[in-house]
Amino acid sequence: MSVQISLTVNGTPVEVRVEPHWRLIDLLRGPLRLPGTKEGCGEGECGACTVLVDGRAINSCLYPVLEAAGRQVTTVEGLLGARNRLSTIQQQFVEHGAIQCGFCTPGMVLATHALLTQRPDPSDAEIRTALVGNLCRCTGYVQIVEAVHAAADRLRADAATAPNADAATGGPDHG
Amino acid sequence: MAELRYVGHAAARPDAGDKAAGRTAYIHDLERPGMLFGKVKFSAHAHARIKRIDTSRAERLPGVKAVITGYNTPEIRIGFLGDNFALKRDLVRQFRDEVAAVAAIDVETAAAAIELIDVEYEPLPAVFDPVEALRDGAPLVHERDAKGKPLTSNQLPLRYHHLSGDLAAGKRASRFIATGSYSTQLIQQSCMGTAGCIAEFDANDNLTIWAKTQIPFLAQRDFNRALAAMGLPDSNARVIVPALGGGFGTGLDTHAYEYIAILLAHVVGRPVKMLYTREEEFACLSPRQSSQVTIAQGCDEDGRLTFRQIDVLLDNGAYASWGATYPTVMLLPATSLYRVPNVSFDAVLAYTNNTYCQAMRGYGNPEVTWAIESNLDDLAVAAGIDPLQLRRINCNEPGETTPMGLQITTCGLSQCLDAAARHLDWQHKRGQAQREPAAGPRRRGVGLASLLHVGGSGRIYRSDGSGLMLKLDDFGNVNVYYGGVEMGQGLHSVLSLGVAEALGVRPAQVVINQTDTGTCPWDVGTHASRGAFMALNAATRAAQQIREKLFALSEELFVDEVEKNLSKYRKQHPGYQPPSFDFRSAVRRDRFDLRDGMLVVKDGPTEPWAGVELARILRAIHFRSQGTMLVAEVFYDPPNELPNWDKGMGNMSATYAFGTQGAEVEVDTETGEVKILRLVAAHDVGKVLNPQTLKGQTYGALAQGIGYALTEQVISERGHIENPGFRDYKIPTIGEMDFPIDLEFIETDDPAGPFGAKGVGEPGLVPTAPAIANAIYDAIGVRIFDLPITPDKVLRALQQKHAL
Amino acid sequence: MVGYQYLRPRSVDEAIELVVKQPAARLIAGGTDLMVRLHQRAERPPTLVSLRAIPELCGISYSNETTIGALTPIADIVASSEIAVRYPVLVAACRTLGSPQVRNVATIGGNLCNGSPCADTAPPLLVLDARLRLAGPRGTREVPIDQFFTGPGATCRAPDEVMTAVVLAAPRPTARAVFMKKTRVCMDLALVSAAVLLELDGNRCGRARIALGSVAPTPLRLRPVEQLLEGAAVDRDLLQRAQALTSASVAPIDDVRASAAFRREIAGVFVRRAIEQLLGWSQP
Repeated sequence: MSVQISLTVNGTPVEVRVEPHWRLIDLLRGPLRLPGTKEGCGEGECGACTVLVDGRAINSCLYPVLEAAGRQVTTVEGLLGARNRLSTIQQQFVEHGAIQCGFCTPGMVLATHALLTQRPDPSDAEIRTALVGNLCRCTGYVQIVEAVHAAADRLRADAATAPNADAATGGPDHG
Repeated sequence: MAELRYVGHAAARPDAGDKAAGRTAYIHDLERPGMLFGKVKFSAHAHARIKRIDTSRAERLPGVKAVITGYNTPEIRIGFLGDNFALKRDLVRQFRDEVAAVAAIDVETAAAAIELIDVEYEPLPAVFDPVEALRDGAPLVHERDAKGKPLTSNQLPLRYHHLSGDLAAGKRASRFIATGSYSTQLIQQSCMGTAGCIAEFDANDNLTIWAKTQIPFLAQRDFNRALAAMGLPDSNARVIVPALGGGFGTGLDTHAYEYIAILLAHVVGRPVKMLYTREEEFACLSPRQSSQVTIAQGCDEDGRLTFRQIDVLLDNGAYASWGATYPTVMLLPATSLYRVPNVSFDAVLAYTNNTYCQAMRGYGNPEVTWAIESNLDDLAVAAGIDPLQLRRINCNEPGETTPMGLQITTCGLSQCLDAAARHLDWQHKRGQAQREPAAGPRRRGVGLASLLHVGGSGRIYRSDGSGLMLKLDDFGNVNVYYGGVEMGQGLHSVLSLGVAEALGVRPAQVVINQTDTGTCPWDVGTHASRGAFMALNAATRAAQQIREKLFALSEELFVDEVEKNLSKYRKQHPGYQPPSFDFRSAVRRDRFDLRDGMLVVKDGPTEPWAGVELARILRAIHFRSQGTMLVAEVFYDPPNELPNWDKGMGNMSATYAFGTQGAEVEVDTETGEVKILRLVAAHDVGKVLNPQTLKGQTYGALAQGIGYALTEQVISERGHIENPGFRDYKIPTIGEMDFPIDLEFIETDDPAGPFGAKGVGEPGLVPTAPAIANAIYDAIGVRIFDLPITPDKVLRALQQKHAL
Repeated sequence: MVGYQYLRPRSVDEAIELVVKQPAARLIAGGTDLMVRLHQRAERPPTLVSLRAIPELCGISYSNETTIGALTPIADIVASSEIAVRYPVLVAACRTLGSPQVRNVATIGGNLCNGSPCADTAPPLLVLDARLRLAGPRGTREVPIDQFFTGPGATCRAPDEVMTAVVLAAPRPTARAVFMKKTRVCMDLALVSAAVLLELDGNRCGRARIALGSVAPTPLRLRPVEQLLEGAAVDRDLLQRAQALTSASVAPIDDVRASAAFRREIAGVFVRRAIEQLLGWSQP
């Protein structure tokens, strides 16, 4: 028996019918047609399904959809700016070779976003702690760490010159 | 060599932006109109007779559109020995045998339907150990071969054998000999994107299948055979490869689930998507082949290797796939890693009721290098020679021919040894744990290991070819059609850089089209680290063809275009005086060049109007009476040979990759924990095509090498996989890679390689495990023979050592 | 068919009422254990009763004692500067639980009620003598944590009871504690975990609390080793005996993660090293 819920997805209010047993990832990839969030394991081990709920990184494969009612959800699509410009984090991943097959990338990018929002100048150890729940089989992680540092540097520099812009995303403020 | 504009410089991948944006469509994201979802029912036993399958309850479930078994579908034999079937009838031989399948309107319904299928089995005696399986009286996994001939043993009819020189003489000439029995474990490739496909028939019964494959054309052949078996001998399979969430060898064979999707699609007349869950990926897709390797190596007084004897036993599992062909690659390090006369190699394979295995990165090389390089350190200890020195003494050199007949052209092994030793600070650190024992439980050590691998493809089929087409359009875009696949390794990156470099356009003008058997020329597959080597060899030749055609056609068209340019320029710059240059006599085909998409006359004026945009000249060539388009096609088949497997002889590759890796470790002697303090990797790559993607390949391979060495193991208990998930199959996390990694790439500029480059996809994980094991030996004086090197094994080895 | 009802009561009483009316319903907290079991089809409850919409279950209050609402996410415990001061051993353990994504939704109550012998919060809470508050149709009660775990995956919580809070006594002034966890890779369940809390005066040991995870059917208090230490002047010889007694007092199993022998060995090493660290005889 489906249920109507309201939530905000990538800054946009959404009203949608969901099945009570769905996980948040089923809503995102299903009726909301946001396929950027990937299911890598379904068991909260790989982090490919990471999205932000009220700014916190969570595994959407374990998050009951009804718990998302009334909350702000951010997916990888929500990081893009005007005219689909890549956000700073996404751009640095591209420039530093942090992406190979790309399947882990959306989750990795969102976990990075959550980290840099909390810790704008993270140490290597803090980066590793923040991303330990995002498995990658292709890259060996080294260039991912480089990309995160570069994104942190860039974001801090942007914040210094334009303190009111939400420089973590490519464009307007997201929740 | 002229300065390269794009090749050799770090560049972001052309596909990375879409991946970062979450826009890339993997098989998981693809939909076809009317698509249904398929699921497979797997066997409940390792070995059993199927007595009855009752699908009636499943068929009645609302939303189920088809239920198939081996009993209501035509038999489709699969596997290169033809010993496997898409759906099993009469017998199941492993837990993951596919006994039924369902197509339904959604995944949940399909999964529920699977549970409603009742299968009655009569369990049979089973065998789970290859040694047991080869004993007289062992239960037979297969009673007949594919031709119906009765079998009396579980030994596969595949023998791999090599004998060169005089082994007995080699042994007699040895002053020191080291022996050992080594094993490697089952490993799951662990692509982040699981396996899957979408099968769809059209009204003419032709099949299109979107497949997670690395062998689209061999798959086409396999699927065409299946179509014939389905009573559709005139139907054709078109294989399209979407973006892949990893490969690592999982796509080098076709899989039962693909044939099942095809059968379902044909039965329901709608597209059917089959997607493995992570658990199914672990439990029901073929892992990396495990191995047991016994080895003996000897050397004389001076440390020169005198012989090498290797015997391999492989647990083949229930059916033959590419795990059964690992010995073809094992032959390379066995016969040719370091200079060794008198080599014997033998491999025996046994059917068991365990899971069968497939390709994974390295394909047998890591398995044998594990034994060779671990054992070589033992030999060094026995001989009282420094392990680095022992390797230097026996180092491969350019220009050699090895016992297998490999013709070493370029060889950077000695530079790799030196580089690795230098980065490790070998002279100071080797032996330090013994010279200056630390207080406390932690001990440090360093270790090295080298590799030899194919670097110029590896001929394992009659054709080792790759076709490539370039099609230029009216806008100056260069469309590339190549039948190999991008699986994250960066093929599209180096291909766009290489085409740009060879043709004379900007990489942004190069468009790499989807791999599709309907549009791309034939390619044997993206294996053997051959992607860049083959694609770029074909591409540079095709680019040359384009240039020749373009320059020939430009002879009559260039001057007009330049004059139009000049006229426009003069209008914009009144009073401009052009330098005098006789274009009419200069426009000969050998005087043109194409630079960054601009056609120019070499040594002509450098004024902005003196070059013609490629797009303009292409339109001029096209839009006229008897116009033409520029298309080039090359089928490149490299100068290598298909070895004689009975003799283990043949120059399998057009060139060979070498490398040395080193590890510095710290071992906690109370907990057995091995902490990596530093890794160094020095690789002879011929030429660095894109430093960014090369580093990525190397770091990624090192991470897999660490998992292989320390933490990964598919645990199979009486044929049942006990850890089908990331909770208990532990691949390295970002936290594991918290040590410095020194990379050094040696450019030996190989004559067979495009821009001098050799293949690099696999070498990075080949010597990692023995380098770590050799470092552990340096630290604590114990030799671990069985991968993975868990803390438990380290503690037990220490306990045994202290008990002596 | 597949599927379940998902109910979100607003109060503890409402939650209890729902599970009383539907005995087959399962309570769900953060869901990071239960959702995995559902995905694996290990359980198929017709109804889940979520505790996440009950405000009084979430949050930490401080007086002399500290009361941690059972639905407090692990990440909030890690982030709490006050808990870091009062019970650093709890923070240390919580830091190792899962991944950041898991910690953002997993709860302290869920971790305990799951009843796993490898529960990361169990060893520190055992050495802190935590009391667990349960509310049910028969009223509320407090259970000392060392009576809570009854077997692998089993606790003394009745199916119609809700854990509402974890209560910790005021930290004792000389108590210092260490947490250690053996894993295969950085994100992992505990192969062995240990919390050791000692009240030391120089090398004289006052009160001792030692708890281990993953070495017995339940998280385990090691009373024999506590008794060995309490009142003793700790020297190298006593440390060796403590290590040996620890190894002898645990009852680990062989499983896919580790062998019993390995766990036994590590348990002893951990306890010895933890004591050494607390004595200042070694670095972490």
